[in-house]
Amino acid sequence: MRKFFAVVKREYVQRVRTKFFVVATILGPVLMAAFTIVPALMFGIKAGGPTRLALVDQTGKMYERVAKELMSGKETRNNVATMEPPSQQPIGPNNSKEQINQAGKLIKPTFVIEQARLDNRSIAEVRKELEARVQNRELEGYVLLPPNLLKDGQPEFRARNAADLFTKSNVESAISRAVRGQRLVEAGIDEKTVAKASEPVDLKTIEAGGKESKGDASFFLVFGLGLLIYMSVLLYGQFVLGAVIEEKETRIAEILFSSMRSFPLMMGKLIGVSLVALTQLGIWAAAFSIFSLWAASGSSITLPHIAPMVFVYFIIFFLMGYFIYSTVYAVVGSMVTTTQEGGQLALPVVLMLVAGFYLSFNIIRSPSSPLAFWASMFPFFAPITMLVRIVTETPPLWQILLSLGIGVATIVGLVWLASRIYRVGMLMTGKKATIPEVWRWVRQA
Amino acid sequence: MEDSKPTLVLDRVSKSFGDFAAVSDLSLQVRPGRVFGLIGPNGAGKTTTIRMIVNITVPDSGRIELFGQPMSTAMQDRIGYLPEERGLYKKMKIGEQLRFFAELKDLRGAEADKRIDAWLRKLDLFSWKEKRTKELSKGMQQKVQFITAVIHDPDLVILDEPFSGLDPVNVELMKETILEQKAAGKTIILSTHQMEIAEKLCDDVCMINRSRKVLDGKLREIRRSFSRNAVALQFQGDEGLLNDPELVANIRQNGDDTEVLLVPGANPQQLLKRLVDSGAAVTRFELVEPSLHDIFIEKVREVA
Repeated sequence: MRKFFAVVKREYVQRVRTKFFVVATILGPVLMAAFTIVPALMFGIKAGGPTRLALVDQTGKMYERVAKELMSGKETRNNVATMEPPSQQPIGPNNSKEQINQAGKLIKPTFVIEQARLDNRSIAEVRKELEARVQNRELEGYVLLPPNLLKDGQPEFRARNAADLFTKSNVESAISRAVRGQRLVEAGIDEKTVAKASEPVDLKTIEAGGKESKGDASFFLVFGLGLLIYMSVLLYGQFVLGAVIEEKETRIAEILFSSMRSFPLMMGKLIGVSLVALTQLGIWAAAFSIFSLWAASGSSITLPHIAPMVFVYFIIFFLMGYFIYSTVYAVVGSMVTTTQEGGQLALPVVLMLVAGFYLSFNIIRSPSSPLAFWASMFPFFAPITMLVRIVTETPPLWQILLSLGIGVATIVGLVWLASRIYRVGMLMTGKKATIPEVWRWVRQA
Repeated sequence: MEDSKPTLVLDRVSKSFGDFAAVSDLSLQVRPGRVFGLIGPNGAGKTTTIRMIVNITVPDSGRIELFGQPMSTAMQDRIGYLPEERGLYKKMKIGEQLRFFAELKDLRGAEADKRIDAWLRKLDLFSWKEKRTKELSKGMQQKVQFITAVIHDPDLVILDEPFSGLDPVNVELMKETILEQKAAGKTIILSTHQMEIAEKLCDDVCMINRSRKVLDGKLREIRRSFSRNAVALQFQGDEGLLNDPELVANIRQNGDDTEVLLVPGANPQQLLKRLVDSGAAVTRFELVEPSLHDIFIEKVREVA
């Protein structure tokens, strides 16, 4: 046992003291922010001034309505979002439509609309002129409303940047609203009634538990936690891989094995590195708590409220993920001879982790679907997927416990397997081990 | 001492990796307080044998007994091991590194620190204590590695090629240190293919080739048994005196030295007497025992 602690101590002390650890601890939150917030801002913020659009109204009566809808629109209702600090609204680099809409709401879209009159010119001529202006960057785009718009005509939106989905969706809904209003008025309904009838509903989101949903903030919290687990498991798993390969490469393994049994050695290593990870996460958690205390006392910044249980679950599922993946990394490390080979062989492992991370996007949207259930039971995905489920829509306790149980059983099995492969693998030199060889080691050991 | 219980007994030990037999049916005994040389060409099975002794690998068959008991993990603390392929953590400071390896051998606290300092001073490394491994020369790393093998004051010290990478000054320092360990009552197993060093240090040797033992026993006796009745000569006088087929079988000239192989059963004194009687000035007359090197070559060729 004392030797085991010597290994734990060495792994811990040697790693915590490195410059890398200090830098990573300070830079970690910055990087996290960079990974989440910056793409959101990039995505949301339209560089430059307002979007300048020209409107060609061939119906002769729609310009006012469409322009009004575009300029004011209903976006005012969503301005609430923009008043909060952007740090609460991080958006991931994925492209689901829902997320685009959310990010789009961050920024109040501003349009400058001008009417392009036909003035007896042919539509082709007007088009040509507008195209030229778009090319000259006098306009961002133009909209063509066909004469039969109110029946079944298709309006046309030409933009320099056709990939700008926010603008497109804003234009689309503005025209829809305008057309709807005009149709109602033409059907003989009083303008005021139309305006009143078009008043949008403000949906108040309430979680099943009764408290008001944290809404978008909750979504970003889930996303952030998933990303944090993914990144820290990957980072600390790589540490284990590096440590095992170093001992194998430099033949330290030989001295280690001549001094102690392989099982406490491997466990000492895994636990030592896990303590490094917990130290780092602890520092972050403490910093976050202090920051939110400060924020709560009189600053204008409000941070999303995180229930203490979320921290507890986070640590539990981080440890589960860490032990599953770093055990696999320890095996990989003992099978190869160089760091490069280790990287190659570890790729499938990393892909598993990535798969779990991407599954969580689906699970955020439907946390109780069968897919979510099975994904959170599969031990290689569970550390991320189960945590996502817990934060979005806490599943029944038995599911959490079952997931943890499967995880623990997997860890025990993996550690058993790994300590057999580890010992033999660590003493092998010269070439990378093949799978049949490794299987023989398992049976022999 | 000669009849005391052996420190280490290997009894018909075999180990193979797949189809390759690394060690076959090896039996040997290492007696306490002696330097035991495990010699053989590269790939003969020396390292595998040592790994079984230090309990890194387990033999397929046969029995290993250490200090009169079957091998176990508890016994590992009584062994000090310097592996052939050196291993130190590159980025760790020397002092901390030694402390870690001492703790792995269950030596800790102030006692560990005291011994680490003493050893570093002894091997001229004290000023390097706070340096990292990668800043040290290969020879220095070798000496640090040696300290890890002896820091816990083990009863059995196993040194696998301890002289590789050392300059002549350090080779001498290492030899002295090994002999000091012997004087302190330790049993030492020395694995090497450098015969001249083995010859000077070892009391007993075991020679293995192609996984099998080809020879073992006390070095002195082995050499005597391989004696070819040869005389190294240096004299001034009539060289024709040596031409006597009844006495001399062969003459070999090495520079100033003449090596004379006598006819089996002939008495070297007879040759000396003849030379002195003839009035030749004899400056050297020495009965030559074959070097370990010669015996080694002979044995290896015999098997091949």
